Amino acid sequence: MDLDLPAWSEPFVGERRAALRRRRPFGDVGREWAWGGATGAGLRVAVIDSGIERDHPAVGGMLRESVRVELNEGEASVVDDPEAADVVGHGTACAGIIHGFAPEAELISVRVLGPDNRGKGAAFAAGLEWAIERGASVVNLSLSSKSDAMFPVFHDLADAAYFANVLLVSAANNVPGPSYPSLFAAVVSVAAHDLDDPWAFFYNPAPPVEFGARGVDVDVAWRGGSRIVATGNSFAAPHMAGIATLIRQKHPEASPFEVKAILAATSTGSMPEAPRDAPEAHLTG
Amino acid sequence: MTADQPRRARSRATSARAVLEAIATRTEAARRLEAGSSEAVLRSIVEATVTLFQANAASIALFDPPTNRLVFRVAAGEQGSGVLGLSIATDQGLAGYVFSTGQAIAISDVANDARFGRAFAARTGYIPTSIVAVPLVDEEGTIGVLQVLDKRDSNAFSLRDVELAAVFARQAAIAISASRVERDTATLLVEVARRLTDGSGTGADALVAAAGAELARGDGTGLWGLVDAVARLRRADPAQMALVADLVGVLADHAERTGRARRRGRPGRGPARGAASPSDDE
Repeated sequence: MDLDLPAWSEPFVGERRAALRRRRPFGDVGREWAWGGATGAGLRVAVIDSGIERDHPAVGGMLRESVRVELNEGEASVVDDPEAADVVGHGTACAGIIHGFAPEAELISVRVLGPDNRGKGAAFAAGLEWAIERGASVVNLSLSSKSDAMFPVFHDLADAAYFANVLLVSAANNVPGPSYPSLFAAVVSVAAHDLDDPWAFFYNPAPPVEFGARGVDVDVAWRGGSRIVATGNSFAAPHMAGIATLIRQKHPEASPFEVKAILAATSTGSMPEAPRDAPEAHLTG
Repeated sequence: MTADQPRRARSRATSARAVLEAIATRTEAARRLEAGSSEAVLRSIVEATVTLFQANAASIALFDPPTNRLVFRVAAGEQGSGVLGLSIATDQGLAGYVFSTGQAIAISDVANDARFGRAFAARTGYIPTSIVAVPLVDEEGTIGVLQVLDKRDSNAFSLRDVELAAVFARQAAIAISASRVERDTATLLVEVARRLTDGSGTGADALVAAAGAELARGDGTGLWGLVDAVARLRRADPAQMALVADLVGVLADHAERTGRARRRGRPGRGPARGAASPSDDE
């Protein structure tokens, strides 16, 4: 049966991964150089999602600011959300993953899911614009819009972030058709691989989806102080956001495209020398 | 100009009839395609989903704009029926999240989530331990959510399962799009008829020019579809009719701008383009 599967994760799964072995473009760039010793201290990471539960053990008390987007007759505005609720658990899951990599990074919650679904694309965009203006170093977007009307809006915002030195990390959307901003060149787009290793991540030189990170059966924080096991690209994105945060702390002079290059250079399977019959074991090292 | 009026009126009446016949044919075709009800198609999709996944239940919830909630329309599987007719807010639970963000997600160990839709699950009579939820996406955006609960031979869903569920969701979205084309075409038909018969529609000429040039020739078999559609549209509320009038206005403006140039459009994109597009008939 020839199924028309959306295949963003395909390059990162099973035997296909072997094709991602490549010679490291910057020979001396290794993980120790890239982020060794970094904790995310002094950086702010925004999570645009369902909110972050302030008291959840997984976020370690690092939630510094919490806002939500309100829609009034299509007009989006960003307001303080001191209660810092997460009615789903998903935003807390993403924040918990990021905190696991960068325990000293400050977290900003931008809640864009509300009871009124109309104009949700506008709410995403307003939340993203706010996070860019707020000066977040890294923004995690485990969501996207499929609305054609939002294409130019997100395109402008992706450019604005890039020029403002804000790194956007966006989960690929595993359903057919384009989704914004996850497939824009300026963002770090992420799909899931199926290895149980938080530090294993792959660079795919054949975009649109450029990075594969852990996203299958991930033990994540969930609402009400709980944890669950979850699968999806939206859990892969915060892995890359967390690692990128470490790089940004250690190399504050690196711009978004330089961070992306460092991520590619330090990806699993990227070796100082060209691989010669390299065993599979190298891929997970 | 005034000397041409009788001929123009006759020509307009002929064109109008051609338009009505063409639209009626399309309405009838779409209605047959729909096989009576999109729910029948959706039901067969969730039944196939349950069988393929060997799951305890599968369901489809569709967004209901008037209430701004997700309403569970069809379900299958031994534990499926309890959810029928229930609804949830679009910012609640996994289904709400998947609908709002368009992200496909699977979770297991649901029992660890003390508050996970517990009240809602209790109402359905079944509390799952693993769920995969994928969005139903058509060309206009996310319109609902397909959920599969508890594979019998595994306690979790794999990445492949997520992607496979997305394929079923796509089929469901296509079925819903087909029924929407039918509904929108019918709505448009009544507006066209109203405009042409009360003689006041300034956009009628342009509409006729646009639609007449592009629609396939009606073969007269669509009469019952026409009657059916008109009867149904009498029940449309004023707000819906106002929306239709706006859409027709947009179509008329577009026709004026583009003249008789043929446009290619995709079916199901929206009432105006859907009704005036030749692509369904090619």
